[in-house]
Parts: sequence; C-alpha cells; structure tokens
Amino acid sequence: MQTAFDRRRINGPEESSPPVFDDDDQNTAVYASWKVGDPRRVRQPQDIRPIFLKAGLTSQANGSAYIETERTKIACAVYGPRQSKNTTYSETGRLNVEVKFAPFSCDVRKAPMRDAEDRSISVLVQQALVSSVRLELLPKSVVDIFITIIECDGMEGCVAAASVAASTALANMGVELYGLVVSCAASSVGKEIWLDPTEEEARLASGSLIFACMPALSTVTNLRQSGRMLPMDAIQGMDMCQERCADIHQIVAQALLASTEGN
Amino acid sequence: MSQDTLLPGQPVPLPRGPVPQLGGGVYTKGGQTRASLVGALRHEGSTMTISRVRPHPPAPNSVVLGSVTRLSPQQAMVSITVVDDVPLPAGEEFTGVIRVQDVRATEKDKVKIGDCFRGGDVVKGLVISLGDARSYYITTARNDLGVIFATSEAGATMEPVSWQEMRCPKTGRVERRKCAKPEGL
Repeated sequence: MQTAFDRRRINGPEESSPPVFDDDDQNTAVYASWKVGDPRRVRQPQDIRPIFLKAGLTSQANGSAYIETERTKIACAVYGPRQSKNTTYSETGRLNVEVKFAPFSCDVRKAPMRDAEDRSISVLVQQALVSSVRLELLPKSVVDIFITIIECDGMEGCVAAASVAASTALANMGVELYGLVVSCAASSVGKEIWLDPTEEEARLASGSLIFACMPALSTVTNLRQSGRMLPMDAIQGMDMCQERCADIHQIVAQALLASTEGN
Repeated sequence: MSQDTLLPGQPVPLPRGPVPQLGGGVYTKGGQTRASLVGALRHEGSTMTISRVRPHPPAPNSVVLGSVTRLSPQQAMVSITVVDDVPLPAGEEFTGVIRVQDVRATEKDKVKIGDCFRGGDVVKGLVISLGDARSYYITTARNDLGVIFATSEAGATMEPVSWQEMRCPKTGRVERRKCAKPEGL
C-alpha cells in the first residue's frame, strides 16, 4: 500500500499500529446508558459551558484571541488591513477567513491538508463576521483571519467559539466594527433544546442550530440549521441562543477591557 | 479607566449642547451614535473621536514614505512603508506609483524620471487617489515632497544642494534628484 509521502513534514514509519492499553474506567462515555427522554447530564439544557477568553496573546499578529470552553480550544490571529493581492479593484475591503484543524484536535486524527470541512467552517465564520466589520473604510485592503482549532468537542460549538474568538481578535486589532459578534449553538434532542452541545450530545441530537448575532445592535448576522428540527423547536432554539448571547457578549467585553487595561 | 473605554457597538454618551462632529472611530446608525473601536472617547475641538494609533492603509491626502522599487519612462513604482507617521509592519507594504505628470508642479511634460528618482531612494509623497487595483497614486509636486534620502553611486549618503540636485560628500559629484525641502529651512 503506498503511503502519501509528505515532503514538508517528518514522516513516521510506513507501517505502524496503535499501542494497546488496559481498559481504563475513566474513559466511559457520559451518555453511554442514555435513552431518548432522559434529561441532560452534567448541565441544564439552557446552560452553556464556561468560557475562558483572552485577547492579545499572539504578539506577532495585529490582533489575536484565545478561547477555551471545557474541551474546545481555539486560537485566532488576525492580520491586516493589508493590500489585497487580487487583481480586481474593490471599493470595499474583504474578509478572508482560514480555519485549520490541528491533527490531534478531533477523536480521529485529521490530516494536515485542508479539506472540505475546514472550508465549510471558514464560510460560516466569515458569514457571521462580515456584516460587523466596516469594510467600506478599507478600500483595496483585505483582513486575514487565521483560526487554529487545537481541540474540538462538538463541531457546532467549535464554529460558535471560533466566531466569538475571531470577533474579539478583530476588536483587539483595532479595525472599525459596527459591533461585536457572539455566537451560540443549540441542538434538538428528543423534545428538548440543549444549548452548546458537546460531541456526544451532538451525535444524540436530531438537528442542530448555530446562531450568531450582534447583541449591541440586536441584529442576527448568521443562522445555520442542519439536520431535522421542527420549526417551533428551531424558533425556541433561536430565542434561547439569543438570551445566552447577551451573557457571552459580557464575557467578550470583559476580555477586551482587560486587554486594554494591561496596556 | 475602564469606565471611559468604549467597545464597538456601545452607544456614545453625547454631551449637552450642540451635537459634535463625528471623527474616526464612531458612527451613526438609526439615529444612535455608537463607537466602532475599543478606546476612550476624546473631544478635539468640536469633533468627537476615538483614536487608535495603529498602521492603516493609505487614504487620499495621507503623507507617505516609501522607497523606489522600479523606474519606467512613465512612472516610478514605490513600496510604501510609512503612512501618516505610523510605520507599517514588515512585509505588509503597499505599492504606490508616481506618474511622470505628478513628479513636480512646473514643466510637467519635460520630466525625465531618471533625473528625479533612482532605485532605492526614500521618497516622501502625498497620496492623491486610490489608483487602480495594484497601486496607489502618489504625488511629489510640492516643495516639501520628493527624495529625502539617497545614496550616491559611490555608496555615500547624499546631501541635497537644491530642489534638483544632490551632492555626494565622498566624491563631490552632483547627481540629479527631485529633492524635498528639508524641514526647518
């Protein structure tokens, strides 16, 4: 079998097998014995995981932020406004989002090459942020946002956390914004709506929702629903997300004020 | 300090009396004035602004410093490194172009680019427009705009003698450049 020979990295041996461990009891899944109709474990349905957010950690980038929610860890760096290498002239600036998963971020190892999943997350984050940046003040320029996902627990939660980190990094950089974007995910499990699902909870869910808004202006910037959800459940999910977003906005505000006080 | 710092989207408390003009860093939407940067509100005269001294792309009427990268009979291409006294990060330079008709204000049709700029000269210019997709249009048609720093063919830093000539201190040779008037003269 021909293994892909990657010139840019140090390749391991061609044949390798995973090590065999003893069964450790700590690794039993939280929802191993869960069935439809049971309540949520560990948290209340409307609780989100506690967020740690810090701005300005990457000194070489123009703006940066790091967000951690239990087992989701994302670092974001923004560069710009730089001259757009595009040959077409544009009156307004462009926002370019690039997402990269670390190979050790998910349960199954992800190859270092960019694939369709990276691009679909980039598109979601870009849609959430583009209406919050005053791009008309940046002609011929491009703002680059680089998001590195260090650990990922639940894809929807990941997209939401990435949007929050990117918005914090943009504010930290000093580009003019209409408002701060915060984002929250929800999933419909049985007859309930659970906010901020983990990977396991997302697998039990029949449908999920990612909601991004600017609480300061009371506008929704992005809404993505996937899977199967009743319209009433979707609307209930959006209302719950909107309430939570007001709390997340407070966290972002505190992180930004803390970073300016440090200067 | 944290009481004065405003965040993007936060409504700006307007002072009593006449409504001040809006400077950079604040915007009005739906009748409400809000901040668009993280910073403290400042009143400069009658203008309300939140300032953030950070590198920004050139805008019309910005004073820029750049180094000449390429010469052609019609224009000189410049790599802009400083915009409005704020240096840009390394690697993030903008490109600008000084067209032959923008080099000086008099006798515009008799300009020879080789007698005004050479490769590697540091030039001070004023942005006249956004130009095209690849470069900004810059002018040096003013007394205080033009070549600030140049090295002679012998390798020494030249001193300006007049607005058209610079002199090499090592060899004494005079080379032609469109010089900027030094400040304080």
